[in-house]
Amino acid sequence: MNKKEILKWLKPTSILIAFAMVFTGCADLEEDPTIDYSLAPGTYSQIAELELGVTGIYGRLRNASQWSTFFVHGWAGDDITTHKVSNKADFREFDQRQVSATNGRIANNWRDIYAMVRAANAVLEGIEGVQFTDADKQDRLIGEIYFLRGAMFFHLTRMHGRIPLPLTSVPDFEIGLATQEEVYQQIESDLLQAEILLPEIYPGVLDGAPRPNSGSARAFLARLYLDWAGFPAKDNSKYALAASSAKQVIDNAATHGFGLVEDLEDLWLLNNRFNDESIWTIAYNADNNLFNRKYGKLGNPSDLGGWQETFAEIRFFEDFPEGPRKEATYRTEHDWENFTDQQTPVFKKIAGPAGDIPLTDFNTDRNDFIMRYAEVLLIYAEASGRSGNVTPAAWEALNKIRRRAEGLPFNTPNPSVDVTSGDIAELAFTERKWEFAGEWLRWNDLVRMERVQDALSNRNPQSSFNSQGQLLPVQNAILGSLGTDNYFAPVPANEVLLNPNLGN
Amino acid sequence: MKKQFTKLFRIGLFYGLVLALMSFQEISAQQTVNGTVVDEAGVGIPGANVIVKGTTKGTVTDFDGNFSISASSSDVLMVSFLGYITQSVPVGNKTSINVTLAEDAAQLDEVVVIGYGTAKKSDLTGAVSQVSAKSFEKQPLTRVEDALGGRAAGVTVARQGGAPGAAVKVRIRGVNSINGDNSPLVVIDGIIGGDLSTLNPNDIASMDVLKDASATAIYGSRGSNGVIIVSTKKGRGKAKIDVDYFTTVASVPEYLPTLGAADFARLENARRTRVNGTPIFSDGEIEAFDILGGTNYQRELFQTGISNNAQLSVSGSEGNIDYFLSGNYVDQEGIVKNTGYERYSLRANINAKINEKLKVGLNTFATRATILNDLTTLNRFQGSLIVKALSWDPTTPIFDQNGNYNRFSTQSLASLSANPIEDINTTNVQGINDRLNVNVNISYDITDNLNYTLLAGVSTINNDTETYRLDHPLNDVGFNSAKNTNHQISNILTWQKVFNDKHDVKVTGVYEFSGNESRFNSYGANNLSIPLGFYFAELAAATNINNAFGNSSIESVMGRLEYIFNNNFYVTGTFRADSSSKFRDGNRTGYFPSVSARYSLNNLLDNNTVFTGLSLRAGWGQVGNQNIANYSTYPSVEVTNASRYAFDGATVSAGSAPGSYGNPDLTWETTTQTNVGIDIGLFNGRANLTLDGYVKNTTDLLLDVPVPDTNGGGFIRQNIGEVENKGIDVTLSGSIIQNEDFVWDSSFNLSYSTNEVLDLGGVDDIQGTFDSVDGKSRTWNRIQVGEPLGQFWGATFLGTWKTSEAAEAAELGLMPGDAKYATDEEGNITFGAIGNGTPTTSWGFNNTLTYKNWDLNILFQGVAGFEVLNAVQGILVGNTGNQRSFLATEQLNQWTSTNETNIPAGGENEIGSTRYVEKGDFVRLSNLSLGYTFNDVIEGVNYLKVYASGQNLFLITDYSGYDPEHTSRPANNAGNVDVAAGINVGAYPNPRTFSFGVKIGL
Repeated sequence: MNKKEILKWLKPTSILIAFAMVFTGCADLEEDPTIDYSLAPGTYSQIAELELGVTGIYGRLRNASQWSTFFVHGWAGDDITTHKVSNKADFREFDQRQVSATNGRIANNWRDIYAMVRAANAVLEGIEGVQFTDADKQDRLIGEIYFLRGAMFFHLTRMHGRIPLPLTSVPDFEIGLATQEEVYQQIESDLLQAEILLPEIYPGVLDGAPRPNSGSARAFLARLYLDWAGFPAKDNSKYALAASSAKQVIDNAATHGFGLVEDLEDLWLLNNRFNDESIWTIAYNADNNLFNRKYGKLGNPSDLGGWQETFAEIRFFEDFPEGPRKEATYRTEHDWENFTDQQTPVFKKIAGPAGDIPLTDFNTDRNDFIMRYAEVLLIYAEASGRSGNVTPAAWEALNKIRRRAEGLPFNTPNPSVDVTSGDIAELAFTERKWEFAGEWLRWNDLVRMERVQDALSNRNPQSSFNSQGQLLPVQNAILGSLGTDNYFAPVPANEVLLNPNLGN
Repeated sequence: MKKQFTKLFRIGLFYGLVLALMSFQEISAQQTVNGTVVDEAGVGIPGANVIVKGTTKGTVTDFDGNFSISASSSDVLMVSFLGYITQSVPVGNKTSINVTLAEDAAQLDEVVVIGYGTAKKSDLTGAVSQVSAKSFEKQPLTRVEDALGGRAAGVTVARQGGAPGAAVKVRIRGVNSINGDNSPLVVIDGIIGGDLSTLNPNDIASMDVLKDASATAIYGSRGSNGVIIVSTKKGRGKAKIDVDYFTTVASVPEYLPTLGAADFARLENARRTRVNGTPIFSDGEIEAFDILGGTNYQRELFQTGISNNAQLSVSGSEGNIDYFLSGNYVDQEGIVKNTGYERYSLRANINAKINEKLKVGLNTFATRATILNDLTTLNRFQGSLIVKALSWDPTTPIFDQNGNYNRFSTQSLASLSANPIEDINTTNVQGINDRLNVNVNISYDITDNLNYTLLAGVSTINNDTETYRLDHPLNDVGFNSAKNTNHQISNILTWQKVFNDKHDVKVTGVYEFSGNESRFNSYGANNLSIPLGFYFAELAAATNINNAFGNSSIESVMGRLEYIFNNNFYVTGTFRADSSSKFRDGNRTGYFPSVSARYSLNNLLDNNTVFTGLSLRAGWGQVGNQNIANYSTYPSVEVTNASRYAFDGATVSAGSAPGSYGNPDLTWETTTQTNVGIDIGLFNGRANLTLDGYVKNTTDLLLDVPVPDTNGGGFIRQNIGEVENKGIDVTLSGSIIQNEDFVWDSSFNLSYSTNEVLDLGGVDDIQGTFDSVDGKSRTWNRIQVGEPLGQFWGATFLGTWKTSEAAEAAELGLMPGDAKYATDEEGNITFGAIGNGTPTTSWGFNNTLTYKNWDLNILFQGVAGFEVLNAVQGILVGNTGNQRSFLATEQLNQWTSTNETNIPAGGENEIGSTRYVEKGDFVRLSNLSLGYTFNDVIEGVNYLKVYASGQNLFLITDYSGYDPEHTSRPANNAGNVDVAAGINVGAYPNPRTFSFGVKIGL
C-alpha cells in the first residue's frame, strides 16, 4: 500500500472513528424498574411500605367482595333465590344445588380471593425480621394481615370445604388441597395471631371496625369454632370454645366498640353504613370507583327497573314471623305477588329501604357488615346450649335479639318475648334464620347442622296468591342432591386443569 | 407544431417515444440538440443518461431534466434512466428533442428498498412485494393500510371495524407470536418503528414489503413479523402543484334484521307465559305497536357520514435542491352518530446536493389526528355500543313524555344497558394524537466505491385522551396523556466494486442504536357537581391519578454482503447482532444470520417469445422478536388504583400489591424461515408471475404461561413453545390489453397459509383471555397444540329438547323447547373447540383500465378458510347476559309444541356455542373508481381529473352479521387479536362509501 492509498483509507477510517466516538455508548441497556414499575422488592425499609402493602390487601379484598359473586354460595340457602331465566345461571346452580366446576362465579371468586392471599403473603415476607420504631403500629398492621388472610381462608372454605393453603407469595405449582382440619387450624392460627397483634380498638377509624380489632378476631374465632363443631369436621369440643369466645367478645364489647343498633330499620341505611353493630366492615366509596355492586338495583325486579339478581324465597318469606324485623328485612309494601316477570319478594337488606338507594343505582356506597354483633350474641346462645353450659347470660344474649326483632328496647327484659327455657341451641339456631335472612349466612348454618335436606325440601309456597287467585310456584326448583356429598362447591375446573393435585 | 407535439406527447403517455418519433422526418446535419427528458406525468427526470448511439459521447440531464448534446442528423440518441424503458431517438433535423420516458412495463428494473440500501428488483434474492403509488393512486384513500390491502401477496389487512381512525390489523405471512404483537415493522424513510395509520397516503412513493427471513434479517430482532418499508416522495424537475379533493358519503351497507316492536312484544309474552309468568304486554299495546311500530335503536344509532379530504402538494427541484411539500386535511364523520376523525398533516422532504460527494436530506412530518368517541373505549359491560343499540328494547321510546331520555328500558326488557342513544349523545371522548417526525440523512462518497451515510431520526408522539361523559347522575372527566419519544441513529458504510466486469460486490456495514422513552400521566375526576364540561374537572367530588414511565433501547451491528456473478447469479448474506434493554445481561444479545441466492435462467430462454424471464430464488434466515413490555424480567410490587381502599368510605388510601412475577431468564423469540421462489417473465415483461413458498417456525415463544389462580393468578412470561406457519404467495401481474386507446393492467395475488401451534411447553392447551360478554364468566378462546391460533371454545348446540324427550330434559331441570347442548354424564354442558378464526387464504385482484381519457380501477379482495363466532347474533337471540328478551327474527320460527323446530323457545342460550359459529369466507368489491382526465383544457393547468368511486360496494358472504372481516378487539391490543381472531362482540360496521373528487395538476 503506498502513501496515497494509506491516506485514502485513513480519511474514511478517521471519520468512522469520530462517529463511533460520538455515538458509541449512547444506548443504555440497563433497565431500572424502580423509576415507575415497582416499589423496591424484598424486605421493607420503612413503615410506609408496610402500610401500603396492608392497604393493598384491603384493595384486593374489595375487588373480590364488590360483586355478589363473593357470596355466591349464599344462594343455596332457603332464604335467597334469583331470577329463573336470565343470565343468573351461576347463581341458579347454587339455588338448585347443581354446581358445576365450570361455574364462572366460583372461578372469579377463587381468583380474587387467592390474589388477596398472595398479597397478604407478600407483605408478611416483606416485614420478616424487620422492626420499625413504631412497634404498636407495626403490630396492628401485621395483625390485620393475619386477620385478612384467616378471614378469607374461612370465607372460601365455607364455599368449597377443602381448599389449598398457600402461605408464601412464591407459587407452588404442585400445591394440593389441605384437609378440612388443616384448613380450620390455619384459620385459627391466623386469627389467634391477629388477636394478639391487634389493639382492643383500632385508632382513628369509624364505627363498625373497618379495620379489625382484637375483638373482631375473637368474634371470628367464635364463628370458626361453631363451624368446626359442625359438619364436616364435627369436632364437638369446639362448641365450648365458640361459646367462650363469643362471651369474651360480649364481655368486652364496649372496649371494642361493638353494640346493637337500636332500630333494625336503621341498620341498612346508607347514612348509617358505619355503625357499631358491625364486627368487621368492608368499606366502599362510589365516588372513587371503589363501588359496592351487590345492592340497590340488583335486588329489584324488572318492574322496578332492577337487575333481579338477589331475590327472597317465597316460602321463607311466608314463614317469616310478622313484626318489625320482617319489615326491616323485606320491602313488604310491594305488590310482589303480581310482579310481571318473576313473583318473588324483595329484600330491603339488598334493595335498600324505600328512597335510600336510587332505583337505577347498582354502584353503591353501601358497606358490608361481614359479621354483626347480633351474631356474636346468637353464637353465644347456641354454642352454650350445644356445649351444655347454658347460663342466664346466654338466655339474655338470645333475648336481646328477640326483643329488638319486636321493636322493643333490647336491653329491657320483656316477658312477652323473652324465653328462658327450652332448647336454647335450637331457639338460637332458628333466631339466626330470621335475623340473618338475606345476608348470605343461612346456607352456612344449614351445612354445619346438616339441615340442607330439611330446609330445601319445603320451599313450595303455601299461601301466596296472585291477583288471579293462583298459588305462586316455587322459583328454581331443586335439581341436585341435598345430601352431604353435595354440600360443597367443586374446585374451579381450570384450576384442576392447571394443577391436577387440586382435583383430589 | 406545438399542437402536434402535444398530441404526440399525449400518445407518448401510452406508447412510449418510439412510436412518437416515427412522425419526424430524417435529415442529416451536425447540430446542437437541446431537450428535456420527462416522465409520463411530464415531470423532468434529472440524472438521465443521453448517449449518442455507438459512441462514448454522452451527457446527463440536469435537475429539471434538461440536456444539451452535439449530434449529427443521422445520429440516434439513447436516453435511459433506471426504472424506465430506454428510448432510441433519431436526431433528424431537430434542434430540440423532448423525450418522454415510459416506466418499464417489465418492472424488472424497479428499485426496491431493502433496508439500509436499495436494489434493482431483478437483483433481489429475498421475497419482497412492492406496492407503488401507481397501483393505488386511482383509489381515493385516507388510510395507508387501505392501499396495502389486496395489493401485495402475503399481506393481509383486516379492519377492526369501520370506525373512522380505527386501528387496522396488518399481518405478513400469518401470525407467529401468541402473546407478542404480530404487527409488521414499519420503516419510514429508513427510520424504524413508524405508524402507517398516521401517514398521508399521498406522500407515499412506494411501499416495499419484506416477507421472508432472508430479507427481514436486516432488521434482526424486529424483523420477525415482516417489514414494510415506506419511501416518501421526492421532488423532481420543474415545480408542480397537485391538488386533490374528494368528498365521501358513508353509510351502513345493511342493517341487521331485528324484531319489530309488535313481534318483540308477542314473543316476550310467550317467553314469560312459557315459564308460568304473566304476559307483560296487553293485546291493545301489541295492536298499537303493529300500527305505530316501535323504536329501532340500530337505525337511530347510525347516520350517513360525510367526509372531506383535501390534499395539496408542491414539488420540484431548483439547482441542487429538490423538495416535496405536502399538506393534507381529512374530516370524517362516522356512520355512528357523534363519532368522527379529523387529521391535519404537513410534510417537507428536502434534499440538497452540496457537492459531488456530499448530499444531505431532511424529512419532516407533523400531524394531528383526533378521534371523536372511539367506540372501543366506550365499551363498558357486555359488548359494544353497537350491540347495545342492536339489543335495546324496541318498545321503549328514546325520550319520555317530558322529553328526557328513557335511561333504561321502561319495563327492563331486552338490553339492560343504559340508553345507547343517550350514551353516544352525552359522551365526548377526544383522542388527540400529535406526532412530529424529523429525520436527517447525510451521504458522503468517501471514494468512488465507498459511501458513508448517517441517518438520524427523532419522533415525538403525544396521545391525549380527553373524556367527558355522563355517568348518571353526574358527569365524569377523564384525561390521559401518553408521550413517547423515539430516536434512531444509523451509521451506514457501503462499499461497492465490480471486478473483471463479472464480479459485482457490495458490502454494507451498519452500526445503529435506537431508543424509546414513554411517559404516561392520567387523572380521573368523577361526579362533577355542575355539568360544565371537561375543563371544569375541578368540580369533581373525587379524583384519582395514575402515571407511568418506561424506556427501552436497542444497539445493533449489521453486516451485509451482496455478490452478483455475471449478472445471473446473485447471493446476499446478512448478519445482525442486536442488544435489547428488554433482556438482562447475558440474554441480551441476539444474532440473526441469513443467506439467500437467486439464479437467473434468462440465457436458457433465447428466442422464446412466451417465457422471456426466469429465475429461481432460495433463502434462509433467522429473525427475532423482543417486542414485550418494559421490565418484563422483573417482578413488581405495583401501586395501582385497583389496590386503593377507603377505610372511612370517603378518603382513598394508596395501596401496593404484588404484580407480575418477572422472569430474569427471558430472551429472544426466534423465527427461522426458509423461502423458495420463482420469478417468471412472460411476453417480454408484459406479464410477470412470482411464486414463493415458505416455512417459518417460531421457537422460544415469549409466551404468557398462566399461573393458577390458586397461586395468585396472572401469568409468567417464558420462552416456551413453537408455532409454525407454512404457505405460498402468488403474484401474477401484467397488461392484458395494450393498444393505442385501451390499456388493461391487471394484478392478482393470492396467499395461502396454514398455522399450527406445535408446542406449548408441555401442556396441551392454554385458556385464552377473551372473556365472554354474556355474564357467564367464560373464556371464548383457547390455544391448543396441533391447532391453529384462534380456536373458539364453547358448547355444542344440539337444537331443542323435543316433546318426546321431556323426561330426559326434566332431569336437567329443562323442558321441551329449551335449548339442548352436549353434556357429560352428570348433565353439565361440555366445552370444546368449536371453530377457528384464523383465515387460510386471502387474495386480491386489482385492475386498472384506461380508455383514452377514461380510467377505471376495480379492486376485489377475498378471504377464506376461517370462521366467526358471531356473539352479536347470540346477544340478539337473547335470553341471556344483559339481554333477556328475544330480539332475533329467527325466533319467529321458534319451537312450539306443534312445530318442534330447532330454535329454542327458552333454556340457556350459550353464546359461546356452535349455534353462533359461522363461516366467514367473503369476496368484497373493495374499490371501484372511474375517472376522466382533461388535458390542456385550461391555460396553465397541466391536467384536471374528475372521478367517482365506491368502496365496499358489495360483499359476498354467507355470514349473517355486518362484516366477517372484523375483529372486535382493538387491533392494536397486542396478543389477543390473533389468538382471539374472529370473535365478534359488536364491531363498528365497515361502511359502504361513495366518493367524488377532483385532481388538478399545475
